[in-house]
Amino acid sequence: MPFIRHAIPTLLIAAALLLAWQGYCRLAEVSPLVLPAPSDVLAALWMDRARLALHLLATVKVTLVGFTLSMVFAFVTSVVLHFTPWLRRGAMPLLVASQTIPIVALAPLMVLWFGFGLLPKVLLVILVTFFPMLLSLLSGYGRLPAAYRDQLISMGAGPLTVFRRATLPVARPLFLAGLRISATYAVVATIFAEYAGARQGLGIYILSAKNNFRADLVLAAVAVSAALTLLLLGLLQLADRLTGRRFRGGDDVAG
Amino acid sequence: MLRVEGLTIRSEDRLLVSDVSFALEEGRITCLIGPSGCGKSSVVKWLSGVLPDGLVAEGATHLDDERLSLPTPAVAYQPQQDSLFPWLTIAENAALGLEVRGMSRSEARAWVLPLLEAFGLGGQAARFPRELSGGMRQRAAFLRTIVQPGRFLLLDEPFSALDAVTRLGMQTWLCERLRETPRGVLMVTHDLYEATQLADRVLVMAARPGRIVADIPITPPRAARTEANLAEIRTVLRSLLMEEMT
Ligand SMILES: Nc1ncnc2c1ncn2[C@@H]1O[C@H](COP(=O)(O)OP(=O)(O)OP(=O)(O)O)[C@@H](O)[C@H]1O
Ligand SMILES: [Mg+2]
Repeated sequence: MPFIRHAIPTLLIAAALLLAWQGYCRLAEVSPLVLPAPSDVLAALWMDRARLALHLLATVKVTLVGFTLSMVFAFVTSVVLHFTPWLRRGAMPLLVASQTIPIVALAPLMVLWFGFGLLPKVLLVILVTFFPMLLSLLSGYGRLPAAYRDQLISMGAGPLTVFRRATLPVARPLFLAGLRISATYAVVATIFAEYAGARQGLGIYILSAKNNFRADLVLAAVAVSAALTLLLLGLLQLADRLTGRRFRGGDDVAG
Repeated sequence: MLRVEGLTIRSEDRLLVSDVSFALEEGRITCLIGPSGCGKSSVVKWLSGVLPDGLVAEGATHLDDERLSLPTPAVAYQPQQDSLFPWLTIAENAALGLEVRGMSRSEARAWVLPLLEAFGLGGQAARFPRELSGGMRQRAAFLRTIVQPGRFLLLDEPFSALDAVTRLGMQTWLCERLRETPRGVLMVTHDLYEATQLADRVLVMAARPGRIVADIPITPPRAARTEANLAEIRTVLRSLLMEEMT
């Protein structure tokens, strides 16, 4: 299991950091109301697990729905822009400019317009993740080597065949990188949207824990959301592994 | 016979290729030789229907006196760069041209599989290009080109990335494959040894603007070619190319 061997140094460092945190809290006798030790956080997480799971479920739902929809929209948009150069030239500056807006700051507006249901949160996730996905797709399309395109055209291929047989495979690694970035953004955006107004979700859980001065519960929810992001990244990795033997480079092949 | 007449290629600011005419005969190898940057690839790309954006060409192509529009299924093109798709296996790469021309995946596969052996690719069907040596990749690229129905092959420096020993082997090997499946070949090369060894005719191009300055038949039969009976032609070619340099 080379994976475990690779992970050992990381795990050791993480354990050392947690241990130092634990030691500091115990030796300096910091009040657990200010900085709970990792063991306190763990205990709080376990005590409140039923409620936490409920809120986690709400967050997972928003994240997954938003992420999936965003992926579909980004792909469709990328294809339209790819085949309509004038539209791409016209739209790209606007899309880039739109990124100067701190989109998560729109969360209160979403609540104002669309209430406390699924819609405003999913919209926010889409707004936040759409652009990185679109950009990774378009720059992936731009990487097509001229020789690949020439090869296909000389064989009599039309633009759609070139796109399907060469442009998409070439864009794949960049798109996956874009998805990984977006997965992180998606969790953050969901929590922010819940923060701005929700009945359930890790965001609202954190908010109410804070209002009750429960730093241990805040940290427990933070740990859970970090785990959620890791899980998403892991799923993406798995999907990549399952579908992409042919796309992996050099040394990976033998294993 | 495939005839190219009056081919002129311009970029925005200069004349790249000026009034190039030549003919390719079936079963014959024509080598196109000339200094780097003289426009060899541009000529071949134009004839393959893939002239880069930003270049404008005029000129006509006739196949047996019938005017052709480009790209045409009558020619199969092998680009200068190694253009095997890294995400396709060797068999899939070889079958690509057949699939693009409308054959089903399984049909195309069944067509190329029995050919792998003769191309020195036996047992490699399911491997990826990165797992093969440079010589094997070139053979796979050539297989992909030659299984296409075109009566003419345009090969842009097929061996230039290979080491000297592999290259010698590949030259002999190419002639054998062409004996089995005769085609008219236009092969671009830098190498006048390669040109005189393989060609039935050598076209010499000069640069700035690219134009054909000599059209030299190589008469000794390929099997009987030696250093001695090619020496004279090589001297002529070398002096033509050197003239170019100064
Ligand atoms: N898209 C383009 N726009 C403008 N000029 C170009 C373009 N493509 C090629 N050229 C120019 O055309 C000239 C001929 O290029 P070409 O690739 O045909 O030369 P070549 O003889 O094949 O060279 P080499 O032996 O190095 O492969 C070069 O001077 C190059 O700078
Ligand atoms: Mg060239």
